Amino acid sequence: MLVLGRFSYAGKVATVFYGGQLLFLAKMADRIADGAIVTFSLQVELFGLQMSWRFDALSWFFAVITLGAGLLSSWYASGKWGERFRRRGGNLWLLHVALAANVFSMLILLGSGDLLALFIGWELVSWASFLLMTVAGGRAIQAAMRYITYAMSGAMAILAGIVLLWSHAGGLQYAQIIDVMPQLSQAQVWLLVALFGSGFAVKMGLLPLHLWQAAAYAETPGPGAAFFGAISARMGLYAIILVLVQLIGLARLSELTIPFTFLDMRDLWAWIAVLTIILPTYTALRQTDARYLLAWHGIGQGGYMLLGVVLGDALGSAGGLLHVFNYATNQAVLFFAVFAVMFRTGTADLNKLGGLITRMPISFFAMLVGIIGLAGLPPMNGFVSKWFVYRSLMIEGEPLLFLGAIIGTLGTILSVYKLIHNTFLGQLRVEHVEVREAPWSMVAPMIILMLLIFATGVAPGLVLDWVALVQSAVGLPVVENTLGGVELASGSLDMLWVVGVLFAGFGIGALLFYSGGRTRQVHQLDNYAGGHFLTAETRYHYSDNFYAGLMHLIRPWYRGSFVWLESTLGSLLGIAASLMQRLYGARHPSIYLLVTVVATLTWVLL
Amino acid sequence: MSIQTLLMELVLMPLVAFVVGLFMVLMLRRIGAKLQRRVGPPMMQPLYDIVKLYGKKTQISHGWMHDIGIVMAVGGYVAAETLLPVPGMDGIADKGGLVTLVYVMMIPSLGLALGVGQCANPNGSIGIARALTAMLAYDVPFVIVVFGVAWYFGTTNLVDIIAIQQAGGVAGWGAIAMPLLAIAGLFALQGMLGKQPFEIYIAPAEIATGPMVEMSGKYLGGLFVMQCFQLYTAGVLYVSLFLGGGENWLFFLIKVFAVVAIPMTVAFLFPRYKTEQMIRLMWKWPVMIGLLGLAFVMH
Repeated sequence: MLVLGRFSYAGKVATVFYGGQLLFLAKMADRIADGAIVTFSLQVELFGLQMSWRFDALSWFFAVITLGAGLLSSWYASGKWGERFRRRGGNLWLLHVALAANVFSMLILLGSGDLLALFIGWELVSWASFLLMTVAGGRAIQAAMRYITYAMSGAMAILAGIVLLWSHAGGLQYAQIIDVMPQLSQAQVWLLVALFGSGFAVKMGLLPLHLWQAAAYAETPGPGAAFFGAISARMGLYAIILVLVQLIGLARLSELTIPFTFLDMRDLWAWIAVLTIILPTYTALRQTDARYLLAWHGIGQGGYMLLGVVLGDALGSAGGLLHVFNYATNQAVLFFAVFAVMFRTGTADLNKLGGLITRMPISFFAMLVGIIGLAGLPPMNGFVSKWFVYRSLMIEGEPLLFLGAIIGTLGTILSVYKLIHNTFLGQLRVEHVEVREAPWSMVAPMIILMLLIFATGVAPGLVLDWVALVQSAVGLPVVENTLGGVELASGSLDMLWVVGVLFAGFGIGALLFYSGGRTRQVHQLDNYAGGHFLTAETRYHYSDNFYAGLMHLIRPWYRGSFVWLESTLGSLLGIAASLMQRLYGARHPSIYLLVTVVATLTWVLL
Repeated sequence: MSIQTLLMELVLMPLVAFVVGLFMVLMLRRIGAKLQRRVGPPMMQPLYDIVKLYGKKTQISHGWMHDIGIVMAVGGYVAAETLLPVPGMDGIADKGGLVTLVYVMMIPSLGLALGVGQCANPNGSIGIARALTAMLAYDVPFVIVVFGVAWYFGTTNLVDIIAIQQAGGVAGWGAIAMPLLAIAGLFALQGMLGKQPFEIYIAPAEIATGPMVEMSGKYLGGLFVMQCFQLYTAGVLYVSLFLGGGENWLFFLIKVFAVVAIPMTVAFLFPRYKTEQMIRLMWKWPVMIGLLGLAFVMH
């Protein structure tokens, strides 16, 4: 990419390249399915520590999503979008290089075979993300700087955790750590969980370490934002699963009680997950920029994944893992649609759009499929993963967590309706009358994602098979799925039937509708309101302060407790961040980046 | 069960729902008339209305999403009926369960919202914004109720929930075991059906009936059909959760009509609440009652 990136066909080459890697992974699938761990011959010794890289089912699952996101993002960037981006003065070369660096570093992270390799991969991912975030310049730089300070403080915590483990286990191989775990005292495990947890939570954007994420993702140019939104933050989840579930074990977490409360460590994680669902979702509801709205939802949806995994039973963890895949497809298609609108109209401001449905029908449909998935309604795939999490909460008897998860879903429904209404429905602006559908290079990835979202919604068993492999690889109970969902004595799910009946219902609805009298189609600009005939020049699109009644009620809460909470945490983090910034901000960040990359590359290669 | 029987049930269940729903609309109007000392409409009036609306000459379409919105609004409920067991027919209730039903019931709202959105009428959009807020308000107590019932019976399969209740006779009914949840459920029911005092999103005098403002002819007819289904679905769901479902069609219909009569009667006694008043009320009383009921059920 460093060499090829300068040419106009770079995007296409990259797409083919990612496609090739995906094929390679597909080849690997058979061996993964047998429960084998694919080891690479790459073994490095450093300070007497063995470093190795290998792929198991967990890595494979995340790698497939990463490469899929990379493939579609570079496809999206390869055509007219890239040309425009370059014409507008954007550095397309840097974008492609950064994207490739992201994919590559994530694969290194996912393939890490011990904690040292994990840490190196972690750092590479952080810097690669930083690089991609800075591509746009301007506000993006600020957001990226904020991210890197968060990421660095997180990395310090992880490093401290690794050193702690190394001093006890005498090595950093996963097997060694699992062996030494029973000998550690409760206090030591407490410290470990806190250090690793907070470090990984930064990347995942878990409350209260989420404040960097929305701006950093939203300000990244088109395909980059889609890629970030789809998978980047999930590296945090990968690491959390690896360390908390595989190495420490969920059972151990339940033994760690929190003083002066009824909670144990696992409950704490579940509550963090639920708060991560609720607060960012309602922050998303208040956004007026489509990109920010989606980015905030990205943080919120991460909560469902963590919640599912922390629940730790077959159903819940399957839901959490399934949601990684489902959410990636939903978020990617939503970002693609938003950036398609931005490509044609030049804005993502939800108060400056409207009525584009007739001009960009495919983008509308893509967004529709995406929002149904994101909100978790049938027949799209998002419903299935959330259903698993809900059912698990019901079986485990967690009413308050359940309520929290549902409140998050309801907030998502409100928020995504606002997104599609303000963009595609309602009044068409006069200046957008000439707008056309986005070019095919942008529409094609959307169509692929739409098909994927629908197909895995109807037949979730396709992905659940992989999820079951992941569960057995990390030592979680394995879900026994069917093609259409899951069969349980206490209430099953069979999406094949549900979707079939739903579409039969739509068929009957259509039959009723089209058997009625003939309709007369009026022009899109031929409207009136409250008896007054309005010309197209009058702006009456109801978009600003969309949920006035709700906001009237919850805004004071935001002003009061939420703002207080966020500012307290923010200032605490600010102190930490400023200390870090003094360390890193002393020189130009890109020099640092270069030095780190060169250093790590030589390190890895020697 | 053979595939023929199943297919037959899948056809019959929505059909029955529609017919019963028509009578519920009739009951709604008759109750209103009684309370206002009027005579009320004749028995076949709801059906005449639908036929009339579908046959109108002026049918204004604002685009394909407007049309599909109505299709989704009706179609979603047609599908929902097959997830809702009635005496002698289970449909595909065991393949979806309670949680799926709750979410399938949101599809018609989504369809309606999308359809209204394309009409580009600010009154319609305001109505939808309010309706979605109302959904946020009443769904909070509603899911507490759903959770409590599922926990108590140990299943989300409606067929089993009904069977367990019927095995215990009247004493086995959900309402006897979980009275507080049953009360919270009634609150949620009132909101779900959009009856006064929770009909701010229709508010005829203020936003000209909100979502219905651009609906002419068969569009309004579609919403009429949707209302029939909605009344039926809400009533049957409540009966299935709290009143032991239907032992036979007679008892079943008596229970369902009695349940639906409650919100209708209450409706005429109240003024209209503002959106934020509705949220505050819904998040205070029924949630408190529901959580209290949940605490009793779980301990």
